[in-house]
Amino acid sequence: MAAAEKQAVTGAGPFNDLLTWIDQRFPLMETWRKHLTEYYAPKNFNFWYYFGSLALFVLVIQIVTGIFLTMNYKPDAAQAFASVEYIMREVPWGWWIRYMHSTGASLFFICVYLHMFRAMLYGSYRRPRELLWIFGVLIFLCLMAEAFFGYLLPWGQMSYWGAQVIVNLFDAIPVIGPDLAIWIRGDFVVSDATLNRFFAYHVIAVPLALLALVVAHLLALHEVGSSNPDGVEIKNVKDPKTGRPLDGIPFHPYYTVKDTFGVVVFLIVFSMVVFFAPDAGGYFLEHNNFIPADPLKTPAHIAPVWYFTPYYSILRATTDDFVLWVLAPGVVAFALLLIWSMKKNSTRMTVGVTAIVLLAGLLNLDAKVWGVVLMATSVMIFFFLPWLDRSPVKSIRYKGPITKTALTLFVIVFFVLGYLGTESVTEGRTLAAQIGTAVYFLFFFLMPWYSKIDKCLPEPERVTSK
Amino acid sequence: MSDQSQVNRSRRSLVIASACAGGAAAVATSVPFAASMLPSERAEALGAPVEADIGQLNPGEKMTVEWRGQPVWILHRTKEMLEEIERTDGKVADPKSERKKGELTPEYARNEYRSIKPEYLVVVGICSHLGCSPQDRLKPGPEAFESQWTGGFYCPCHGSLFDLAGRVYKNKPAPDNLKVPPYTYLSDTRILIGEDKKKA
Amino acid sequence: MKALVVLLALAAQLALAAEEPVRLDSAPIDPRDVASLQTGARSFVNYCLNCHSAGMMRYHKLLDLGLTEQQVKENLLFTTDKIGELMNVAMTRKDAKEWLGTAPPDLSVIARARGPDWLYTYMRSFYRDPESATGWNNMVFEHVAMPHVLWTLSGQQVQEERKFKNMEQAEAVGRQQKNAWKIDVLTPDQAGKDGERFILKTIRTETAGSLSQIEYDIMVRDLVNFMTWMSEPNQITRKQVGYVVMLVLLVLLVLTYLLYKEFWKDVH
Ligand code: HEM
Ligand code: FES
Repeated sequence: MAAAEKQAVTGAGPFNDLLTWIDQRFPLMETWRKHLTEYYAPKNFNFWYYFGSLALFVLVIQIVTGIFLTMNYKPDAAQAFASVEYIMREVPWGWWIRYMHSTGASLFFICVYLHMFRAMLYGSYRRPRELLWIFGVLIFLCLMAEAFFGYLLPWGQMSYWGAQVIVNLFDAIPVIGPDLAIWIRGDFVVSDATLNRFFAYHVIAVPLALLALVVAHLLALHEVGSSNPDGVEIKNVKDPKTGRPLDGIPFHPYYTVKDTFGVVVFLIVFSMVVFFAPDAGGYFLEHNNFIPADPLKTPAHIAPVWYFTPYYSILRATTDDFVLWVLAPGVVAFALLLIWSMKKNSTRMTVGVTAIVLLAGLLNLDAKVWGVVLMATSVMIFFFLPWLDRSPVKSIRYKGPITKTALTLFVIVFFVLGYLGTESVTEGRTLAAQIGTAVYFLFFFLMPWYSKIDKCLPEPERVTSK
Repeated sequence: MSDQSQVNRSRRSLVIASACAGGAAAVATSVPFAASMLPSERAEALGAPVEADIGQLNPGEKMTVEWRGQPVWILHRTKEMLEEIERTDGKVADPKSERKKGELTPEYARNEYRSIKPEYLVVVGICSHLGCSPQDRLKPGPEAFESQWTGGFYCPCHGSLFDLAGRVYKNKPAPDNLKVPPYTYLSDTRILIGEDKKKA
Repeated sequence: MKALVVLLALAAQLALAAEEPVRLDSAPIDPRDVASLQTGARSFVNYCLNCHSAGMMRYHKLLDLGLTEQQVKENLLFTTDKIGELMNVAMTRKDAKEWLGTAPPDLSVIARARGPDWLYTYMRSFYRDPESATGWNNMVFEHVAMPHVLWTLSGQQVQEERKFKNMEQAEAVGRQQKNAWKIDVLTPDQAGKDGERFILKTIRTETAGSLSQIEYDIMVRDLVNFMTWMSEPNQITRKQVGYVVMLVLLVLLVLTYLLYKEFWKDVH
């Protein structure tokens, strides 16, 4: 009799009986303990550790406001634009709901980017957290898909031409590309059919995947435990009597109150945008998107929303010259480096053959194809981070000067690429974007070497407070 | 020991204060969401008054106009019909239209015939039970649902009965008379439905 | 051979005079100035609504500008007699295309797309151009299909060009203009011997209209003010609600901060 074995719930005042009744039929207290009151998190979390819970919070905002937007939005090319304006003007409080959703999208990316950067700072993706990291990158991919599909819905000029350009990226895939692009659009151009299916992806398909991944992400986290700014495992040093990590504190109440404070700070920033600058100077809501989609006329200046611009820059930087003078030599040099550092002859052979095939491709296929490949790689490469980083320590605090320089450069380049992606092209900017692209990839591709030879400091035994 | 309880007390009051403030803010936030589900300005604009031309409506005939998406009946009652109404006073639940006065029957229709001019009945054709639209059974005579039927309306959903002034019969599922909308005569043959005189 | 082609292509690019965008005047608008908004609404209905719709805007919303239903009905309702209607236009898109070459766009949210400064400068930058179909051209919107509908008020303008040797001089003169101006830059080849590469383009009033320039500017200001308000009629409410929300959040900020510090006293 399992029910009899469980102890009655105490400490909940008038709710003790009710909770006991539930607990005997459902793992209520067990879940509560496992994930909150007896989940031990390192006590030295700093600023960067706010963004995980904030990302979760924005997800809730997006889902709730999304449901209410869906009540009035019309996924129909003839009505979509007007229905968004209808929400803005005629639905009571509709403007507020819409601005929360559009601002939420941008702030979601800010939170996720900072959350990912945290992982890069402190090596949170390193063993045993590889799978946790992979779930995270998948969430990031879903988020990109979700934002991309959502951005078509207001059916303005930027919605339309943005979708047109992105779908045409698939067109670049050899052989199946053109048919694939048509299949994605459901038409020969972006049209009502495209809008209708993107709506389905945006309001149900991707959110479901996103939620499932968030659950997996959190389960994985609670399985291996949180890392921390020192990059040492708190599980290694336990109180011999209680078996609790000496440097851990229960997530609830300590981190629940801390994160609640974080949520309020976030809400202040969020509300400042929503109420006082909802288009954020054209970065969150682009000016041209207030012109209804016109399939016959591309706006003079088209740029994706800011959160996609670094990758967009990489796409635009990939010209014929770039492929010839940077990519091809890069592949050769990288192959030589690999062959030099590999021991086994069979591996060396594989690298050599792969490099030759790649080289043949580089010299024969359009730069357009490689632009798409580079752009995809620039995102996908994050998956491999746990295996690229071979430093003996996890946290930037104990890493050596090369790694610190590399990470700083990477951040600068990420911002520069992001900025360039919002601007129209000039020769100078293309050159800058090409240098940026090269640095972006070198950061990842050279990591196995520089992270290994870098002069690191010894990790401490236990976490250091501040 | 007393130190400890001191800490706990201030901690408790902070928890309570934060929970109350946070809860109030959350409730306040939910209000706009709930309010967004009320009729929009478009719905209100579409609910604007409509005009009906009753010039062609012969005695004994009924016409229906749409107002706020609902059927509004205009019945041109004959002398005989008006007499029947007086005779049903005992059968109906609220002969003097006294229930929910303001909502169901504007002052100018709070009379025997529930209308401004006795010949013309103007009511919203929606049953006060669960919202079906009753059927015309204008002719008197025995009916399956009432052997001594004096003419009126029969609701197919759950059998409520209304007389020729839209008054509900006693002991039927529907609690109230049919609603008389605000209306006014623009001329002898034109009625404006949805707006009273006092407003214009 | 290839190098030659590249060189030629480069040369061809350079040969095209670089055209700089027009410097926009900043529009002195104020969405709280109800009198200005009312005047703007009247101008909009009188002059713009003949061709352009504002199809996401309901006449009823004009009541927010402090007008009564009666006033709106008497002064602003021309295309319909119902105040609950949208500000649509009688002309069909097909007719419009035939008459003007392009269907006039809906103006409900145009101020959010173009910005008030653009609109303000645009409405004050028409000039006579015998080569254009309507007889008008515009500094801000080259070869615009729209005629200058306010010309009886503003009078007729013409474009003028002045050449300068350097950018600073040209800009200095440009900045003194009351209306839009721009500077086209020629290549040294195009400029010829005197080296005057910087062409300042301005407009000058040739025949006066029924309004003085100042009066006309004020009228356009009111019109643009109205259009900016119309592009987001809830903008005032939005900010008002914002202040209340910020206040509440500040209270919560203090409370949650204290709560956080209180609990974290335990953590050493
Ligand atoms: C990860 C979460 C989400 C993100 C990042 C996101 C992002 C976006 C973006 C960028 C737009 C265009 C914003 C604009 O210009 O107005 C949009 C529109 C929209 N979204 Fe989402 N969204 C999310 C979740 C949802 C969910 C869960 C729903 C429905 C249940 C939803 C429903 C809508 C609707 C109906 C629109 C069109 C209305 C509009 O354009 O304002 N969204 N979304
Ligand atoms: S709805 Fe008419 S009787 Fe029930």
